[in-house]
Amino acid sequence: MKQLTRLALAGAVAAFGTGAVAQELFTPNLSYRTGPFAATGIPLMNGQKDYMDMLNARDGGIGGIPINFEECETGYSTEKGVECYERTKGAAIVTQPWSTGITLQVLPKTNVDQIPILAPGYGFSPMSDGKTFQWAFNPPASYWDGASMLLQAISDGDLSNLEGKKIAHLHLDHPYGKEPLPLFEAMAEKHGFELLPIPVGLSEMQNQSAQWLQIRRERPDFVIMWGWGAMNAGAITEAVKTRYPMDQFVGVWWSGHSDDLQLVGEDGAGYRAISWSLPNPDAPVMAAIREHVVDTGKTLASAEELDEVFYGRGVVISAILAEGIRVAQEMHGTAEISAPQLRDGLANLDFTQARIDELGLTGMMAPFSTSCSDHTGHSGGWMIEWDGAKFVQASDLLTADRAAIDPLEAEKAAEYAAANAPWPVNEDCDS
Amino acid sequence: MLYRTSGQFKTTYRSDQALFPIRQDAILLGLILIFAWAILPFTASEFAFQTLLIPVLIYALAATGLNILTGYAGQLSLGTGAFMGVGAYACYKMITIFPEMNLLVAVLASGLFSAAVGVMFGLPSLRIKGFYLAIATLAAQFFLIWLFEKWAWLYNYNASGAIQVPNVEIFGVHFAGPLATSQAQYYFVLVVVTLLTLVAINLTRGNLGRSWKAVRDMDIAAELIGINLLKAKLTAFAVSSYIVGVAGALFVFSWRGAAEPNLFDIELSFRVLFIAIIGGLGSILGNWLGAILIVALPVVLNTVPEVFGLDIKSATVEHINVMIVGALIVFFLIVEPHGLARLWALIREKLIHWPFPY
Repeated sequence: MKQLTRLALAGAVAAFGTGAVAQELFTPNLSYRTGPFAATGIPLMNGQKDYMDMLNARDGGIGGIPINFEECETGYSTEKGVECYERTKGAAIVTQPWSTGITLQVLPKTNVDQIPILAPGYGFSPMSDGKTFQWAFNPPASYWDGASMLLQAISDGDLSNLEGKKIAHLHLDHPYGKEPLPLFEAMAEKHGFELLPIPVGLSEMQNQSAQWLQIRRERPDFVIMWGWGAMNAGAITEAVKTRYPMDQFVGVWWSGHSDDLQLVGEDGAGYRAISWSLPNPDAPVMAAIREHVVDTGKTLASAEELDEVFYGRGVVISAILAEGIRVAQEMHGTAEISAPQLRDGLANLDFTQARIDELGLTGMMAPFSTSCSDHTGHSGGWMIEWDGAKFVQASDLLTADRAAIDPLEAEKAAEYAAANAPWPVNEDCDS
Repeated sequence: MLYRTSGQFKTTYRSDQALFPIRQDAILLGLILIFAWAILPFTASEFAFQTLLIPVLIYALAATGLNILTGYAGQLSLGTGAFMGVGAYACYKMITIFPEMNLLVAVLASGLFSAAVGVMFGLPSLRIKGFYLAIATLAAQFFLIWLFEKWAWLYNYNASGAIQVPNVEIFGVHFAGPLATSQAQYYFVLVVVTLLTLVAINLTRGNLGRSWKAVRDMDIAAELIGINLLKAKLTAFAVSSYIVGVAGALFVFSWRGAAEPNLFDIELSFRVLFIAIIGGLGSILGNWLGAILIVALPVVLNTVPEVFGLDIKSATVEHINVMIVGALIVFFLIVEPHGLARLWALIREKLIHWPFPY
């Protein structure tokens, strides 16, 4: 009977609010290992989880406190995402929404709930403006950075080479795919190239024959892809089928997934994508993960997955969060930090090359640092190229043309603040 | 025993036609209403508000709207999601164009837009029936979603094509937007839903409801006894779309806070249709039971492993959850094909007759 009462009590607690958790850092991850985007989600989630598991096994967590890296399954559905957010926000020190749709929903609430959002390489590009988006972080690069870097890559570093050219923007017809459009439009006007936006509806991801017919008819000089999930594989197989030259086909970092290219193998050779992370099987951190997580059987990843781009990116993402926690612990002199304290940590990240090497992430990410007003850091990225069997690094570090992006970013951030008035803006930031 | 009706005499037609001729029904409903209005708002947590209470209210309202069209008037519709979208976008445009507009007025007025659109797409119902009509409403679904994506004016030329709910206050209290508390949102939804449910119950009991049912059961016979088919079908489309549109406006303004066009995709239409079918076509109570089963149950099931301290991967829980809910739907439909409302009606009848077996 006592047992039953306790169960019922626990049930009441679970249903009507999360109980307090002692002596751990609760960093829930809104994962999607199910649903239409699972194929791209799983390696990322595995990388994230394994890095945190490794820290727990090797160092006993961060600053001596173990990390509770619990996953809450969303299946990439916004509705489930909000459910997860509500369920975890009681004890969580960070939100990792993992979808632009969920980010959009959670973003306005952060000022009220005071929990930082960590959206590495996704979400709203203007989130980079830390004065306006005090609780949102998208290190190390925003979508507009990615768009700017891709334009540099296809123009050999000089955007005036693009004059008179025609560039197709093949994108998912979703907030995510439309994200870089304002920048592309501004650039097209400035550098005199023709922009051809080609949306792919969520229901047409797997069958893009109409879109590729249009590409065949219009003959764009370059195709830039902003795809996700099943759309990437669909586009790449269509490109092979229509014999679109692969060296003129480039994608954003979420379109550089090894599994999507594996489908076409050799025929996909020459396809490039921008990426702010690189897989490096020889990095010390990978050895540590092998030793503490893989060999002890705690990982969910397969052996070949460990060398993939997305797994490596998951590791880098968790490393950014872990570093944020460490900085926060140092700043506030306590190991058991709160959500607002973590915000200070994430706003004072300093990934120098020395620090990257110290963490064992050599060759997996580029140096960057964040500040109170710059929540992205803009590390830049590399082009990675599919050689027929795997992705290899295909360029030196590219960095975004911030002079072109900054005014646009300030404008959009101000627009967001105005539309959501009263929206608090932190005027104290100066750097 | 509990439902003993002996001794409850009706001496006037008026009392015989009351909303609840059996006293116990009224008491039961009164208890539920007290619970919903006075107890839950002060005991529920943020999580319960956002994932159980508010969504159940909104989905039940949407299903009520659909049930009027499909359950009472017999016109199958697959466009519910899109009509919800019309309500949501109409409300968004009104609030952003006239920021000082009262939210309650805006929400109730947004239903008018979806009613107009609903009537337009309802016109083919005069010529075609059954599955063919379902295809016509499917066209509405696809066309409207396309419109939400392409007509940039609708989302105020937002770069990402999504709408964001601004902060809206009535008499100094925020009822929508990020600053609104869950409690305020809940009360706002509760007021609108209670009001519209009452309207829906009375409409379906009245003259209009009877003409809808006549059309549903046999339209030729209905026409022969003097029911104007044009009027009956189009009023069904109008009333149904109105309620669905209001539900859509609440969906975005009082719950989601932001919406992209594909939120109103066919999946939403199916979800609402399932709620109406599993709850019971041709009943108002069924929408509530269906919404609880489809919307609230998975959320509750998700917390079960945590309660028992079982260490199951979150993805596995999700898979099991889908299987359990699916199995339950199949089970209920086998036990009672007419839905949960009919199941309750049977139980109630047995209770009234108890302890006699007939």
